[in-house]
Amino acid sequence: MMATVVGSYPRPKWFREYLKRIEGLQKDLDADMGKEILKKVIAEVIERQRKAGIDLMTDGQLIWHDFLATLATRIEGFVMDGLIRYFDNNLYYRKPIIRGKLRRKGEILWDFRLALEIERNLKPVLSCFTLAKLSKNEYYSNFEELLWDLGEIMKEEIKGLNVEFVQFDEPALLFASKDEIEVARDVFREICKVNAKAILMTYFSSAEGIFPEVLDFGFDIVGLDFVEGFEINIKLAREYGLKRINVGIVDARNTKMEDLKDLKAKLERILEFAKDVHISPNAGLEFLPEVKAFEKMRLVSKLKEEFG
Amino acid sequence: MKTTVVGSYPKPKWLLRMIRLYNEGKIDDKVMNEAYEDAVRAVVKDHELAGIDIIWDGEMRRDEMTSYFARKIDGFVIYGEVRVWGNVYYPKPAIIDELRYKEPLAVHEFEFLRNITDKEIKVPITGAYTIVDWSFNEFYKSKGEAVYALAEVINQELRNLVKAGANYIQLDEPAIPTHPEELEIAKNAVEIMVKGVNVYIGMHICYGDYSKIFPDILDFKVDQLDFEFANRNFEDLKLLKEYDFDKDLGFGCIDVHTRRVESVEEVKRAIEMALEVVDPARLYIDPDCGLKLLPRDVAFKKLKVMAKAKNMVEYELGLT
Repeated sequence: MMATVVGSYPRPKWFREYLKRIEGLQKDLDADMGKEILKKVIAEVIERQRKAGIDLMTDGQLIWHDFLATLATRIEGFVMDGLIRYFDNNLYYRKPIIRGKLRRKGEILWDFRLALEIERNLKPVLSCFTLAKLSKNEYYSNFEELLWDLGEIMKEEIKGLNVEFVQFDEPALLFASKDEIEVARDVFREICKVNAKAILMTYFSSAEGIFPEVLDFGFDIVGLDFVEGFEINIKLAREYGLKRINVGIVDARNTKMEDLKDLKAKLERILEFAKDVHISPNAGLEFLPEVKAFEKMRLVSKLKEEFG
Repeated sequence: MKTTVVGSYPKPKWLLRMIRLYNEGKIDDKVMNEAYEDAVRAVVKDHELAGIDIIWDGEMRRDEMTSYFARKIDGFVIYGEVRVWGNVYYPKPAIIDELRYKEPLAVHEFEFLRNITDKEIKVPITGAYTIVDWSFNEFYKSKGEAVYALAEVINQELRNLVKAGANYIQLDEPAIPTHPEELEIAKNAVEIMVKGVNVYIGMHICYGDYSKIFPDILDFKVDQLDFEFANRNFEDLKLLKEYDFDKDLGFGCIDVHTRRVESVEEVKRAIEMALEVVDPARLYIDPDCGLKLLPRDVAFKKLKVMAKAKNMVEYELGLT
């Protein structure tokens, strides 16, 4: 069993203020900042994860202003538009518009590469389907072409990273049509040929929409949200024999701290059919104030200790 | 036909400096309060000079529209800030216990303002649905329960406001269009908030897809609905026509997201469009939203243009 996190972590206060100073509140975000400062804040957040007892860590996605903009602004073909609500959260993202053929214009996760200089035991977080789906397509004649181009770009990116795990965050899959899921299956099968263990992360809902197709996506581990869809996801995973699961079990969107005994009882039910699981909060931790984000990570690692 | 404001106005730079000193512990409560009062006097003067009919204090004491109230209500704590988008964060409250009335939310603001102006006054206060939607809930079993509990607290404040002499209260509920499936909760909450409050009630809703709340929003127990129109080029007026709008209209006709000051002529044309939907007596002309993010001179100029446009329309209609 491995304790992990989904990806984002709240920015430390000093870094928040630094970004506000150099970027302002609404003009051109993703500023060209000093690498040393970024390294300093990533090291701080990695240290928080280590201290909390997280085994497989992330870089905290600390300069990601929203889930899509970081990827979109680093790929040719996207332009950024106005703010729009991110699923059912009180959190907004700039809508990417696809105006031309999508092309790789260099390293995408250059911030993650910086993090690797500090710590090797990290998983990078990318997105393909969700980025495509939440963008406005003004260039491609159909979704399939768009997803294939984006998939190729992501595959290239992973090749250069040289990591053990790579994660795709795809909450939009849970709300997709069956046609879209079939396209996603073909594209992910290709992406998952890379030389890294691939994790699919889904959240914000139960996963009935992606079964049984998700079993053929080619991922080594499939992440399900057991906060939003506990009974349904148990039923699905059991019925379809899904064993390698990232169990999103601690609520990353509410400050309320779960009872360890309850969590243990829930996880025991999942372990009746799953093995070698990763356990984590059910989403990125940036929905919480830092103090609570840390406590939630502690809870994940304590839960793991229960199964010692 | 009257001009008014939604609520906030840019804080004078010197006040921001005072607030910083206060937070650093360098000045005491008494001095800080005097600064707030002086800032309100300045804002009132700006509103009077601009020619606004119904004014508020510019929300000089309020730092933010959720946590300012949450801090004054028992049952809330604030652990820290969370992101709204990009570099914008807010102190997100958490409900950790039963919500109970603790201290005045707006009565003190109203009483001070009443003493320094003869103008009509509108008291804006964030509504129960929006405060709960923008908070964590650790205590109540459902969102509805939390909203209704908070609505009771706000009801007490509204009653106190009426006792103090307020006759126009505005509920700010920008979160309503973000969850159209919860309109019933928001509607019930309004009924709780205004129970026994027999004064003029408005409700301000900005930044949303209004088509999702029509026509149900017309059943809310308020006298006036105040929407932003300038931001979307007045297209939402169509909705009002489509559904036989029968409330008084708060007509947001000044774009608060741009520093460009509208011309009198364009605001006048906008007011004329609004008059196709409601009679002059049912029209309240205001900016789309609070003005706090604009530079103060721009905010002032915008208000002045708005008042002038309204005067011209009134003159042409022979209403003066």
